[in-house]
Amino acid sequence: MEAWIEFGKGPLFRLAFVIMLLGLIRALFLVLVGMVEAYHRAGDRVLPWADLHKKTLMWMFPVKRIFNRRPVYSIVSFIWHIGLILVPIFYSAHVLLLMNQSLGVTWWPVLAQDVAHILTWITVAGGVLLFLMRYIPAMSRRLSKFMDGFWVVLITAVFVTGAICAQTAVSAYGYQVSMLIHIYGANLILVLLPFSKTAHSVLFPLGQYAGAIGWKFPKGAGAKVRTTIGKEVNHV
Amino acid sequence: MISFTEETRQKAFSTQRKPETVESQGLPHVRFHVEEAHLIPAGERPKKFLEAFAAILKHTNYRFMLDQYSRVSAKCARCSANCQIYETTHAPEDVPCFRSEMLLSIYRRHFTVGGAVKGRLTGDVGLTEEKIDELADSVYNCTACRRCTLECPMGIDHGLITHLARWILAEIGIAPRALVVSTREQLVGATGNTSAIPLPALQDTIEFLEEEIADYKGVEIKVPMDVEGAEYMFIAPVSDWMMEAETLMGCICALHAGGVSWTVGTQYYDAINYGLFYSDHHLEQVLHKVEAEVKRLGVKKILIGECGHASRSAKFFYNVFAEQLNIPVINILEVTHDLLKQGKLKFDTEIIKEKVTYHDPCNIARPGWVIEQPREIIKAFIKNYEEMTPSGRDNLCCGGGGGTVSIDELRPYRTLITGRRKAEQIEKTGAEIVIAPCANCKKQVRELLEDNEVPVELVGLHDLIYKAIILSDDGIAWHDPMGDDDWTPPDA
Ligand code: SF4
Ligand code: SF4
Repeated sequence: MEAWIEFGKGPLFRLAFVIMLLGLIRALFLVLVGMVEAYHRAGDRVLPWADLHKKTLMWMFPVKRIFNRRPVYSIVSFIWHIGLILVPIFYSAHVLLLMNQSLGVTWWPVLAQDVAHILTWITVAGGVLLFLMRYIPAMSRRLSKFMDGFWVVLITAVFVTGAICAQTAVSAYGYQVSMLIHIYGANLILVLLPFSKTAHSVLFPLGQYAGAIGWKFPKGAGAKVRTTIGKEVNHV
Repeated sequence: MISFTEETRQKAFSTQRKPETVESQGLPHVRFHVEEAHLIPAGERPKKFLEAFAAILKHTNYRFMLDQYSRVSAKCARCSANCQIYETTHAPEDVPCFRSEMLLSIYRRHFTVGGAVKGRLTGDVGLTEEKIDELADSVYNCTACRRCTLECPMGIDHGLITHLARWILAEIGIAPRALVVSTREQLVGATGNTSAIPLPALQDTIEFLEEEIADYKGVEIKVPMDVEGAEYMFIAPVSDWMMEAETLMGCICALHAGGVSWTVGTQYYDAINYGLFYSDHHLEQVLHKVEAEVKRLGVKKILIGECGHASRSAKFFYNVFAEQLNIPVINILEVTHDLLKQGKLKFDTEIIKEKVTYHDPCNIARPGWVIEQPREIIKAFIKNYEEMTPSGRDNLCCGGGGGTVSIDELRPYRTLITGRRKAEQIEKTGAEIVIAPCANCKKQVRELLEDNEVPVELVGLHDLIYKAIILSDDGIAWHDPMGDDDWTPPDA
């Protein structure tokens, strides 16, 4: 088991990390290039920039609108994201791992242990609540696909096992099993990140702009579409 | 207000289309009449749909939007509570994200590598006739009001997805007959407008309105026609000339009182643009007709009458498609508001005594464009005003947006489902008059008030302006707006 753990922390982690990085860059690149192209093709480039910046910021720190709709779900989701972002990136053991895996990192800020532990358990509790709140009401249950539930379960499992590993009282065997699940689960998260809705981790800031630029249609496209599908251009 | 029961729901979702005809002719299973479904027989639609989708992706900018939206949707269902359909039906299928997912899943399955691989692995056959029917029915359930977008943390614009889905469907012949027939008359018909009003009939109507104004307001006003080089080309939804005389007389009086340089074009006089609702191609073609008239007359600005979708399609798309760019597009409420601010309009503040409320048309309020102007105008001569909640940018759609108001066979659905929240909202204000400065909203609100048994009168803002405005006959005499000879003007 030790060897598997080392493999998961070493080569597999490096591979997963690179897949994640390249995948996210690709996702970001595709949308950004599309947006820039669309913007340059548009006859009229008037956009309510200030309004779009404001809305983007407003959703990053959604204090204004969070209470409007599904308030409990929204607040839990927001708090859940805090631990989700901070713990993997700033927990001391993770930082050590980053530095040891020759990813070129020499300095990184670190969360205080207590804070990291509290955030972890908040994230675990948040995950359980989010799962229930997704599957109990009919509207979100019907909306959900396999991955929507799977993500919450996977993330929660990785956080729970991570928390167990951080306990000093845990037995050696318990530690190893937990660490194995933790590391392979985390690697799976990294690999899947760009290929699922979790790509919003990098695409989120583009949301408001994508909608606004999406309405900028290129001139003459309708006629070209008609020609391509073999339909008369002036048919109404 | 009638209560919402299972019976109401069934009535709302009932269809006038005979199931045996739909089956025997292989028509799509949707609740609206389809004009050109016979062009592509059942069985071939999935293939043709994907071809049209591919062509649209090739020649337009939609791909990045689909990439973005299919990668970010959190499926949190926050948008549900902002949609007037879901708020009435509470059906999971009416969650905005559920509807958008119908198109996004087709995109992922057929136009992305990951989707294709996953499809193979899971044995997903991909697009089917049934999925097309479901999509078609669903995107014409949505009024494309974009209210749901306000509550989506990811900024997903379901109105834009509905808009795209409708265009793809239209290219394979699935579009409501009501929209297609009107647009056909507008683009290739003899009259060149959606209501098939020939020019002589328009001229007669204008003469009639001039006479009405002379009788009612005591002032001779000539509607300027074909005035080259005028500041504004005034273009109203053409149906207003037949059905909303008071709105137009209000516009004419305000423009006259303000000494505005304006004209009506005789070669093209319809602001309606159903292209916004089902085809980018037609959206562009209609705007080219507007552009031709702008060029012929050499006017400086386009002035759209009381109409939300007509204003939005011109304001946000004229300069996208036109050759001669940078022609400002203004809504009549902006001009009237300006004139008021300049002190050029005088009103009798005793005329409108009823309690009044105001409905924000989505197409002009949602972008934050026309919100405060009408309210300032209202407050200038109406004392008893009650705001709806929510309003402005957050307003509730009247339930007839996205062209659905023109589809008469959807009336029970529009008034009992999509319009129900609006009816409740109007009733709650306790108002006797509701203002809706939009041709589409007017028809819808009238119908929903009637079908939901809410006894409130519906008018345009310029209808009330027409009643209350005080006109001077070349500055010589003031006339009583109600025709009373002994009347003396207020301090004007
Ligand atoms: S655009 Fe309007 S009608 Fe359509 S889903 Fe959103 S809120 Fe509902
Ligand atoms: S609010 Fe946005 S992310 Fe959430 S379900 Fe609706 S569309 Fe999807």
